[in-house]
Amino acid sequence: MVERIPAAKLGDIPDGEAILVPRSLTGTIDDIALFQDGGEYFALDNTCSHELASLSEGWIEDGVVECPLHTGRFCLRDGKVLSAPADTDVAAHTVEVDGDDILIVPNPERLA
Amino acid sequence: MDTPERIVVVGGGLAAYTLGDALRSLGHRGEVVVIEKEPAMYDRPPLSKAAFAGDIALDGLAFASGGKLDALGLRLLSGRTVVGIDPDAGAVTLDDGTVVEGDAVVLATGGSARRLALPGSDLPVVHVLRTFADALAIRAAAVPGARILVAGAGLIGAELTASLRSRGVEVTLIDNVEVPLVPAVGQPLAERLHAMHAAHGVDVRVATISSLEAARHGWSAELSDGTALRIDAVVVGTGIVPNVELAEAAGLDVDNGILVDRDHRTSHPRVHAIGDVARTRSTDGTLHRREEHWEAARLDALELAAVLVGQAPAPRGAGWWWSDRYDVHVEGVGRMTGDGTAVFRGEDVAFHLEGRLLVGAVSVNDPHAVRAARRLIDQRIPVEAAELADPTLPLRELLRSARPAYAGR
Repeated sequence: MVERIPAAKLGDIPDGEAILVPRSLTGTIDDIALFQDGGEYFALDNTCSHELASLSEGWIEDGVVECPLHTGRFCLRDGKVLSAPADTDVAAHTVEVDGDDILIVPNPERLA
Repeated sequence: MDTPERIVVVGGGLAAYTLGDALRSLGHRGEVVVIEKEPAMYDRPPLSKAAFAGDIALDGLAFASGGKLDALGLRLLSGRTVVGIDPDAGAVTLDDGTVVEGDAVVLATGGSARRLALPGSDLPVVHVLRTFADALAIRAAAVPGARILVAGAGLIGAELTASLRSRGVEVTLIDNVEVPLVPAVGQPLAERLHAMHAAHGVDVRVATISSLEAARHGWSAELSDGTALRIDAVVVGTGIVPNVELAEAAGLDVDNGILVDRDHRTSHPRVHAIGDVARTRSTDGTLHRREEHWEAARLDALELAAVLVGQAPAPRGAGWWWSDRYDVHVEGVGRMTGDGTAVFRGEDVAFHLEGRLLVGAVSVNDPHAVRAARRLIDQRIPVEAAELADPTLPLRELLRSARPAYAGR
């Protein structure tokens, strides 16, 4: 069974920003970018599928993260690629909020 | 305009691929044929950067695999050259005599690297960078300790210089101005970026090449400052020349680019042009600068796709570009020249402000500043110079507290 991993507390991630959750904590192949967008939390594999930039440093707006290097855009909800130069989706992980805890449920396909 | 059923695209770069992809997204189900003289439709920006950092294959740069092209219904005729177009017939003739007909023809022929016009410029050690094969040839010359002269310190020359240094090449970088890129990024950041070359061991000079010739062991370059350099190769990065020959031969209006209207239509209603090769002419006859940036080609294609299916294109925002060299990522949006005031946020971000409207921004390793600026520009959100200059005030706050669209100054 996939664990629910406490990754942050409410208040740790300002709206429109993200934190990097290291793979050593999540047991996943890639680090995870944990985003807040308008009170909702989302988690994606951290690495842009275009040129390996960190999506946790991306620009977050309207349910989309824009890669900090070359503006490849991904849907926060499901990791679908939305625009070039990225052309491959990134994996999405489930996020749950339990009390003050923000929990990541790693995508089983992305476990190391 | 009726929606064209069959569309023939000449050229297979970013603009062509984006057009095909966008047409499908917009529901176009007709035939789209792309004719590209190279083996694949691929992305160019990595050619001056990633191509020198590790192994690189054309497949890795391709916009889409064969399977995805099939899924998109794009028919790619690669390795084929177009020798003529007949606008009235919508006919494109290939080098083997094959004629491909379309209800619309799109010219996405891009540009060719500008070459030197001086004695020795045709020597085999003189390279330009425009294609995958060009990148491989430069890379082959870039062995540790090789002496390579890079002519032109603009975006491509600077990126190449950094890439060559990363491979242990001894680089001499010349340009005919003291500090390149001032119009693009403003004086302070231009100076800082140019100074990075010397800091990385590059021999930087203000000069041009006077002549090139064979020497006893290798080659010799004589520069305009009187210096004679022993070199192993030359890389010329002095801009591009738009590939207008087909358009010109077909009688289309051409002036340092194929002239198009806002809908990317050339002087013949059946033919459109997008990307590096296209130059917009306003209805009053004003000729605009060709935009040679990656994103401009993409936006041209998105706009044309909308036009071809009878939709209104999305409003186009300020032009955006990026450059990666050494360990820095540079971004710019809008313009940094013309009337207005330069405003600085620390050492990494520069803005150009007209009245209370932002018209341009450039950042070094601070992409969020430019992302915010881009939105401030496009949404015409008025700002104060003091706000822009205050590093404690997140630029996002200016967006969040966006005031009504600002009509005047």
